[in-house]
Amino acid sequence: MNAPVTPPQTYDCFTEAVPADQVKLEAKGLSFFYGKTQALHGIDLQFKRHAVTALMGPSGCGKSTLLRALNRIYALYPGQRADGQILLDGVNILDNGVDLARLRSQVGMVFQQPTPFPMSIYDNVAFGVRLYEKLSKADLNIRVEQSLRRAALWDEVKDKLAASGLGLSGGQQQRLCVARGVAVQPEILLLDEPASALDPISTAKLEETIVELKNDITIVIVTHNLQQAARISDNAAFMFLGRVIEFSDTERLFNNPRSSQTADYITGRFG
Amino acid sequence: MFDRRARRKLANAVFVAFCTTTAAMAIVALAAILASLLINGATGVNLAVFTQDTPAPGSPGGLRNAIVGSLMLCAVGMVIAVAVGILAGTWLAEYAGRNRWTQAYGSVVRFVNDVLLSAPSILIGLFIYYLLVANTIGHFSGWAGAIALALLATPVIVRTTEDVMRLQSRQLRESGAALGAPLWTTIQKVLWKAAGGGIITGALLAFARISGETAPLLFTSLNNQFFSLNMGQPISNLPVVIYNFALSAYDDWRRLAWVGSLLVAGAVLFINILVRVLSKEPRRS
Repeated sequence: MNAPVTPPQTYDCFTEAVPADQVKLEAKGLSFFYGKTQALHGIDLQFKRHAVTALMGPSGCGKSTLLRALNRIYALYPGQRADGQILLDGVNILDNGVDLARLRSQVGMVFQQPTPFPMSIYDNVAFGVRLYEKLSKADLNIRVEQSLRRAALWDEVKDKLAASGLGLSGGQQQRLCVARGVAVQPEILLLDEPASALDPISTAKLEETIVELKNDITIVIVTHNLQQAARISDNAAFMFLGRVIEFSDTERLFNNPRSSQTADYITGRFG
Repeated sequence: MFDRRARRKLANAVFVAFCTTTAAMAIVALAAILASLLINGATGVNLAVFTQDTPAPGSPGGLRNAIVGSLMLCAVGMVIAVAVGILAGTWLAEYAGRNRWTQAYGSVVRFVNDVLLSAPSILIGLFIYYLLVANTIGHFSGWAGAIALALLATPVIVRTTEDVMRLQSRQLRESGAALGAPLWTTIQKVLWKAAGGGIITGALLAFARISGETAPLLFTSLNNQFFSLNMGQPISNLPVVIYNFALSAYDDWRRLAWVGSLLVAGAVLFINILVRVLSKEPRRS
């Protein structure tokens, strides 16, 4: 079968709401605009506490846009704007009075390309901590070690913490970025295709890390890699043209998709 | 088929020969300058150059006051230029895009900066002369000279700073923001570090540019035949001493002018080599 060239204009949406008491973060009627172009159309989606939620879909479907709305990183750019609500523990983070720096220390983010800072491995991890907490040298050492351990990087770098973060391999750099994000003890971690620049072994290590982290962090991951979504996520959303087409627990979405588009996408016929 | 290939080969050979010739011309000119400096200047270099002040015709002497004065003028000028240049360049790269008004203001600043970048240095000298020497301070002064030099160096630093800041990846900025760092913190602790090599290169090139400038100093700092550390008074400096001594009728003065030229050229060459070394610094440890 060939993929349909023009997607249908109307399609059914199937979403399975997460029970209210398990919701950590929730988008309600969320629309997003790049200038005059609307990229998200009334998204309703719940992110379950201490679980991994995967966002999937073809390029341009709005999954990264959605992710970038969740910590309001888009606010760095004039002309980008979100309407609707994003509730973090019931508080709308799109309100005007929200302290963005505080919000982002609660909602961390790891990017597609590793972005180590041009400083030592230790300082990379301590960077965010130093912004908000006045820890003693000893406490900071502990926090750095903990964070590197949680990112499964400690054993590889413990003897060279003073070396530059730029000298690590790509996979190590990406785990360094995870450690840096974890060090500020966020409640939520947003991952934007974190493994797309990594080799399979580094990817496997990163995936293990993510599964470990969900014990106390709520994780949202954008991925193009369907197997990866199937392996590590608890819930999964399939997005298309700025809408959530299907959202349910991952097993159901992969084994028994209700939308024909989801089925086409996960079987590789489309997208 | 063969014809076309032969023609291409010929065209290629002609073009390569042309490029080689023009490159050789540039190198020969530079080599000739350096050679004449060395031939005429090297013999005059001795300890007295660094320990004695500019002499009256016929007396022994050196360039101590001019060397020290030049260093002071350039140092003060560079301090001003680096501070203004880095901050302005950073603002253009990081803050000017905020909204319509800052964008408009930014493009005006960028345009004026580009004009300043290519402004003849004698105009800068006249401007500072009119502004400070003639109408504010009332006499020639080291401060006026330093400010004139700063005005020459600033646009170079603004431009290079903006360029290297823009080269830093968007994700590096976002990573700072994603950790809850305000933009200003990200700039100071992350972006300036990442762009450091480029910014230093720009500053050194600006320093190389001002170290041999005569015109702006003629109208501002003028000259002083005595040793002076007082920036509020006329202060001696190598370019003006070279200018005066080289045009004089006295052999010993002309010899000192050659020595001074050699020193300036040597300093500029040294800085350029330093820039090369710094910009080749590997990114990875």
